[in-house]
Amino acid sequence: MIALARAELLKLRSTRTALGLFIVILVVTLVPLVLILALVPKDWLGEEGITQFLTTASALVPLVLLVFGILGMTNEYRHGTITYSYLVTPRRWQVMVVKLVVYLLVGMVTMLVAMALVYVAILIGGAIRGVDIDATGGSTLGDYARQLVVAGLVTTFGVALGALIRAQIITVAGTLIWALFVENIIYVLKPAVGNWLPFVVFNQVSAAQMSGDGMEALTESALTRPEAFLVSIAYIAIVSVAAVFISLRRDVT
Amino acid sequence: MSVIKAEHLTKRFGKKVLAVDDVSFAIEEGTITGVLGPNGAGKTTTLRIILDLVRPSSGSVTILGHRYRELRAPAARVGALLDSSGFHPGRSGRNALRVIAAGAGIPDARVDETLEMVELEGAAKRAVKGYSTGMKQRLALAASLLGDPEVLILDEPANGLDPEGMLWLRTFLRKLASEGRTVLVSSHVLAEVEQTVDDILIMSKGQLLAQGPIRELTASTQPVVRVRSPQAEKLEAALVSSGAAVNRLNDALAVRGPSAAEVGDVAHAQGVALHELLTEQPSLEELFLQIAGTRREQ
Ligand SMILES: Nc1ncnc2c1ncn2[C@@H]1O[C@H](COP(=O)(O)OP(=O)(O)OP(=O)(O)O)[C@@H](O)[C@H]1O
Ligand SMILES: [Mg+2]
Repeated sequence: MIALARAELLKLRSTRTALGLFIVILVVTLVPLVLILALVPKDWLGEEGITQFLTTASALVPLVLLVFGILGMTNEYRHGTITYSYLVTPRRWQVMVVKLVVYLLVGMVTMLVAMALVYVAILIGGAIRGVDIDATGGSTLGDYARQLVVAGLVTTFGVALGALIRAQIITVAGTLIWALFVENIIYVLKPAVGNWLPFVVFNQVSAAQMSGDGMEALTESALTRPEAFLVSIAYIAIVSVAAVFISLRRDVT
Repeated sequence: MSVIKAEHLTKRFGKKVLAVDDVSFAIEEGTITGVLGPNGAGKTTTLRIILDLVRPSSGSVTILGHRYRELRAPAARVGALLDSSGFHPGRSGRNALRVIAAGAGIPDARVDETLEMVELEGAAKRAVKGYSTGMKQRLALAASLLGDPEVLILDEPANGLDPEGMLWLRTFLRKLASEGRTVLVSSHVLAEVEQTVDDILIMSKGQLLAQGPIRELTASTQPVVRVRSPQAEKLEAALVSSGAAVNRLNDALAVRGPSAAEVGDVAHAQGVALHELLTEQPSLEELFLQIAGTRREQ
């Protein structure tokens, strides 16, 4: 299993995928952050609403990680490297389980890096503008921890989805459309159903304990946070188990 | 004990495609066996079933006494080269091998060794997308050798190799076999493997048509005598009346039945001049036709 994990990490390091991931993360977190820090009038910068907003700069990271997970799995089918993975480890469930776990950890580490980037960027930005900004935006350690866990889970979710539906473009596009649009539409039209949808539930787990008006929609959710966490785990577990099973049965041609 | 033993392997893809149809064979230790057959014969599917990449619809196969998935450290026992390349285009050749080696617990030093064996060390650091077909093929061969395996399963290893590369491959396979390894190699060209293999399996439309030592199988087929003559029509008539089967295209005849000497004698008796007279070993296609023909007669 350790050999497999090592192979999985080497796969990530030996292509541009990891570098690409890092660059995308830099762009989605830092670009909006830098723009706001540079352009918002000085006396607004210290206000609670703005600092909270600044710390959500890493909110897009899980979506990037989701795609990263899907690519990590579908690329193996696309380039046929799955053949070698299975030749070396014909007990396919081991290949799948190790991949799911490695991506969980990589997702969490990436999120940690993104949050650190955001924190440091706000500190530096505040210093340059001469404003004393609370770089945590009021987030507690628990808030950060939950965001980390969700980032890891979402990455794993991507890997499992990629194993279920191997067609790369369809899976990436379909999942993004689902996460960004379909769930939101259902959430608005039928909140009773919407509250249980995977990405709504993931958000519910990771959403920081905030008091601002804009956050009311989330706190009104029917699921409490522990419930949402359990439902998230259930989603990941179901999709992962399905992914392992389908991998066992699939012909590699 | 046979190194590979397949019993009644059948594989259907969906309802329509019967890719492998009740195939049974045994491969003995230290032999080179060629799996021959035209496109779509089921060669690749059979090899992938042996390696547990494709699940048979029915039947079973063991390799080294076990199912592939039950082998401990399979990379150290069985090496495989499969037709679809299996390398990420953005990864260097060396890193592609390192990924495989890491999963199998094989040290990087062995990666460099195999790269040297296939004479690819110069291009090892370049991305695979810049490789020629032949280079990819060599890389795949290196991958199959990583674990220094007892058994090698190679699907069309000669694909994309130039004549020099083919010669190199032949020598290489011979060397592997002389070290006591068992090699199973597929091809759709008889000439590619006939100087290399000991035994052949002939497949067509999913079925195993024949199996055995290559000498016996090719010896049982009739060679074709090729003749060119300015009086081809006259020669054709004489040969046909002596009972030979003749195909004529302008001044060229393909004669089945008599030997080259007998054809020469007939020409001499008729006073026909010959511009060319040679015996041609049957191609895979002719081997097929003949084997399929004898099967139908049985
Ligand atoms: N994944 C698949 N799905 C459906 N049909 C398949 C699949 N793989 C192979 N086949 C079919 O099975 C048959 C045997 O294919 P196979 O690849 O084993 O032949 P082959 O002898 O290796 O041919 P070639 O010389 O072209 O490589 C073909 O009719 C092919 O179309
Ligand atoms: Mg093939």
